[in-house]
Amino acid sequence: MNSKITSVTFGGIGGQGVLTASELCSWAALYAGYHVKKSEVHGMAQRGGSVESHVRFGKRVFSPLVPTGGADVLVCFYQEEHPRLSVFLKKDGIDLIGYLDKVTQAVANPRGVNTCLVGVLSAKLSIKEEHWMKAIETVFKNKGVEENKKVFLDGRKMGQP
Amino acid sequence: MAKKDKLNQALLSGNEALAQGAYEASLRVAYAYPGTPSTEILEVLSGYPEVDAQWSVNEKVAFEVALGAATAGARSLFACKHVGLNVAMDPLMTASYTGILAGFVIVVCDDPGMHSSQNEQDTRWVALYSKMPMLEPASPAEAREFVKEAFAMSERFDTPVMLRMTTRISHTKENVAVGERKVPETLVFERNAPKYVMVPGHAYQRHIFVEQRLVKLAALAEKTRLNKIEKGDSKLGFVVSGVTYQYVKENYPDASYLKLGMTYPFCDEKIRQFAKSVKKLVVVEELDPFIEDHIKTLGVKAAAKDPSFRIGELTPELIPDVVAGKAKVEQRSVKRKPRLCPECPHWASFAALKKLDAYVAGDIGCCTLACLPPMSALHSCVCMGAGVTFHEGWRKAAPDKPIVGVLGDSTFVHSGITGLINAVYNKCKGVILILDNSTTAMTGGQQHPGTGLTIRNEPTKKLILEDVCRACGADHVDVVDPKNLEEFRAMLEKRVNEDALSVIISRHPCKLIKR
Repeated sequence: MNSKITSVTFGGIGGQGVLTASELCSWAALYAGYHVKKSEVHGMAQRGGSVESHVRFGKRVFSPLVPTGGADVLVCFYQEEHPRLSVFLKKDGIDLIGYLDKVTQAVANPRGVNTCLVGVLSAKLSIKEEHWMKAIETVFKNKGVEENKKVFLDGRKMGQP
Repeated sequence: MAKKDKLNQALLSGNEALAQGAYEASLRVAYAYPGTPSTEILEVLSGYPEVDAQWSVNEKVAFEVALGAATAGARSLFACKHVGLNVAMDPLMTASYTGILAGFVIVVCDDPGMHSSQNEQDTRWVALYSKMPMLEPASPAEAREFVKEAFAMSERFDTPVMLRMTTRISHTKENVAVGERKVPETLVFERNAPKYVMVPGHAYQRHIFVEQRLVKLAALAEKTRLNKIEKGDSKLGFVVSGVTYQYVKENYPDASYLKLGMTYPFCDEKIRQFAKSVKKLVVVEELDPFIEDHIKTLGVKAAAKDPSFRIGELTPELIPDVVAGKAKVEQRSVKRKPRLCPECPHWASFAALKKLDAYVAGDIGCCTLACLPPMSALHSCVCMGAGVTFHEGWRKAAPDKPIVGVLGDSTFVHSGITGLINAVYNKCKGVILILDNSTTAMTGGQQHPGTGLTIRNEPTKKLILEDVCRACGADHVDVVDPKNLEEFRAMLEKRVNEDALSVIISRHPCKLIKR
């Protein structure tokens, strides 16, 4: 497998904003100048079923899917989904499950959990803060850009070593 | 409209990129019925004022209107999911004979792995069966380019062109360069009976044309840049198409590739040449052995997957086993199953059916989810409209059972009405339950004739379902809100025990409708 590609697996259940989280990550990578591929599921799976989204970026990405054992970071939004999703994580990959409770407690509006966890993720990836900010502006357009920037930065702080 | 960065790059899904490419290729009309994974194509196209986009009643209708527009001079696009193409097969087969005036592209999105479908048919066979060319992009960026090629090819060869996507192309996003729209050419619409009136004498002549066209298209397949040889290590060469290219390339970056972007008709000479240039040739493809079977007819020796891999989608980690010819190791899915939303009105409807201990002939849509525990109250699902027709079949075969047919509002309009007329005409008794949540819910809440709004949310004449049912000749037509549990149960029980054909419209809007 190409070692220069960064792979992130996002997972949870329908309605948690999993696809918005992976969308943020994809735009940030695009703004940072990378080739990005993001896979997602629509339709039936969104009816409360497992939702999985993969983001891969680098110079040139082939597979839009992260192979099992190929994720540099795992971002899981739902505890019960974690065992299933952890097969994607590399042996030395970073698992953000430890942040899930912290983030849930820190965020006043439950709808901000996904953006806050993306903030944690941002601290683990080599994409500059300005690209994340631009990604937030793109994805949220006129709806809650400032609130999302705030919870993102809270998460980013939490994620720093 | 696509969001762009300063390099004119946007993060687009395959469906969005395809819509963007079609728009740039001076598309004028686009018709479809929603269906995962194809739905977003029309949703994006409806955002362009230059494109006449519509949700049609069903795929057959959408196909015919689009073909009509193409034969009268407007570049047209029809989009559907794989099973939607089955509904449009009647006009499709003869569209191959009539050809077009302006470009006509048939977009079909297959769903290997059945993320949201009732089967995993491989629609590449339709290209072979209908003798029409098929293009297969391997990424969203290619979807934008290929649809432009498809329109040009359509006009050059007087043929509809099929463009096949799969879920992993439709719903993958990547950087896509965005361009400007070309101004549509003006083509003169003229009567041309020998070309468009397919009576036997005319059709015979057109069949001659179709066979000649296929020979010309095969010559094009040898030259087109869509079929690309990537020279690498000569020990190992792969023949691939679609997303499979990406998975194999991920695993074997140094091998040689014949990447087929045009998968029908085949580029036989290119395949032979490529086979000669490598020591070991392997075909890797999802679902059916479409390329594999053809290569065998050429007498070219190629390794291919074990038949067990014809089932389900491929993923990057499966590729080494596929290449080694190993059998698939079936793994139990531990994925959480989808379910009806907590506030869904269908819960109440199915609770009443369960209490009745009914045999429920079901249909496609959110209602299908009622088959799962704890409800387990839906007992068939084959295709759209079959909630009505299975009901009739079951009644004929098992008249003593409490049988109820169930389908949604969008599905009833799609293909339930004909079944209802059939039941009336053939003196079938029983109960058809239309679960009217006033939207096409499962695919994300699209409009349909019963909502009174178009794809652009503009008001239009609203189809009144109860009037339709009465006009079809149902003995009783009642409209009840299922959230009024007792009233609903009483009505259902009463109608089931009568010697009449009744329609009960269980009406309560879906909670997810965007207002």
